Amino acid sequence: MSSHREAPEISKDPVADSTDIYAFVSPDKPGSVTLIANYIPLEAPAGGPNFYEFGDDVLYEIHIDNNGDGQADISYQFRFNTTVRNPDTFLYNTGPIESLGSANWNRVQTYSVSGPSGTLGSGLSCPPCNVGPLSTPDYAGLAAAAVHDLGGGISVFAGQRAEAFFVDLGAIFDLADLRPFANLHATFGLPGIPKGPGVNATNHVNVHSIAIQVPISAVTRSGHPTIGVWTTASRQRVTLWDADQGENVNSGPFRQVSRLGNPLINEVIIAMGDKDRWNSLPPAGDKQFAHYVTQPGLAALLPVLYPGVFPNLAALVKSGKPRADLEAILMTGIPPGIIKGFTNFTGPVVADMLRLNTSIPAAKNPNMFGLLGGDPAGFPNGRRIADNVVAIELRAIAGVTYPLIDPKFKPDAAAGLLTDGLTAASVSASPLGQFPYLGVPYGGFNTPS
Amino acid sequence: MPSDDTQSSPAMGVSRRSVIRGAATAGAAGLAATAFGAALSPAAAASTRAASSTGAAADAEVKAPAGPIVVHVRNAKSGDIEVFSGTSQTRLRDKDLAARIARAIG
Repeated sequence: MSSHREAPEISKDPVADSTDIYAFVSPDKPGSVTLIANYIPLEAPAGGPNFYEFGDDVLYEIHIDNNGDGQADISYQFRFNTTVRNPDTFLYNTGPIESLGSANWNRVQTYSVSGPSGTLGSGLSCPPCNVGPLSTPDYAGLAAAAVHDLGGGISVFAGQRAEAFFVDLGAIFDLADLRPFANLHATFGLPGIPKGPGVNATNHVNVHSIAIQVPISAVTRSGHPTIGVWTTASRQRVTLWDADQGENVNSGPFRQVSRLGNPLINEVIIAMGDKDRWNSLPPAGDKQFAHYVTQPGLAALLPVLYPGVFPNLAALVKSGKPRADLEAILMTGIPPGIIKGFTNFTGPVVADMLRLNTSIPAAKNPNMFGLLGGDPAGFPNGRRIADNVVAIELRAIAGVTYPLIDPKFKPDAAAGLLTDGLTAASVSASPLGQFPYLGVPYGGFNTPS
Repeated sequence: MPSDDTQSSPAMGVSRRSVIRGAATAGAAGLAATAFGAALSPAAAASTRAASSTGAAADAEVKAPAGPIVVHVRNAKSGDIEVFSGTSQTRLRDKDLAARIARAIG
């Protein structure tokens, strides 16, 4: 998954577990960027009576580096507060929730947002979860009412949305037996697996999204249109279970427990022993992890798992040459002169950030393969909701992008075809045409877990 | 950005004196103090009272943190102690205090 349950410790703390971050020039609002950070992996829509919510004890942040040092120059901070209106019922709602102010809604969450100039908004309503047709009969309307205009061209939304990320988890983590190519897998001497279409393991689940739309001019420096974006979640250092009160008591300064910039980095690039430490650090310190990017384990695995399919990749791995292509794509941005007319280079500092050149307008006809598909408005120039980041990164790791630094290298034919067999069409919930873009969350009544 | 745990945050007035007061006055100091109060042996309690009384004048100068004070004795032998309150923390090196806390819990 992009970053769902990607590290041992954070996998035990879902409300602080970032799953995806998106950053793109708003297609319907030129001059603004949209940043969306998702948390709480794999929400089963019917997961009541205590439906999902943000952690009141978690500090959520979306960071922007606009000078290339891997440190945050702008941070938007989100803090949540939950109110129980009636503690004497077991119900999440005691009747239909027809407005955000409905007295039938028993467990209400609001939040505050702060930015470089201080508090941007407080007491802002989240929508409830999508419970079902009796509890949340007009869910789309409820969610639309939870889009808040903070002035100055800034809009925010925080609440449940449909998971937009698509990935065949069952295949990828079953020793990468990608279904479209499963017949070519080594299978370790076990019976062969026939090829077949991909299965979207993240279909019909929800996430909790923090979305903010801001003017490009508010996040960039003059003459430097490329920004680096990542999200973090932090917890106070001490948590004690107060049995008398039946709740946790938190104390001490906040410490970062979750981080996410480029998709899949901590998931499939960083090794198990470093994942939680990686989560605790800022991008500026990523030089120590650069070897995971320049010598990715997956590149060495592919020729083993698919014998005879990736001979050129196998030779490249054997040569020990560092994957400077991947380092550029993921850790510094692509310098000018590599791809005609394109750059999202932020400088030599090695840092995992989602780099977005905001001077590139939104594509009228987006290509899901982004830059690989000739569409400079897509990943790895930021990330849009429908970008096929799994296929893009699989292909890049398999060698498709290595000719950018060594024109003599010829990628294996299979490298350019790699996919888990999914596209944005594998997601049942359609995205919205406007902020916050992610689709209406799946309802509990119609989507039993 | 969140604070790093190596930083002390004296702004909240978390100090050795407030730790001692926290251990001595359960009602005011919240969870950690409550735990200490329940575990105090007569000898340790006497020791705590002494610390409280000798620090009485100084206590008047220091405003007590509003929330609970949480004490983490990282190493009782070396006296390495972390103290948390609100969003602050400080680190103390105090063998006597660590020993008293260890006696209280033991």
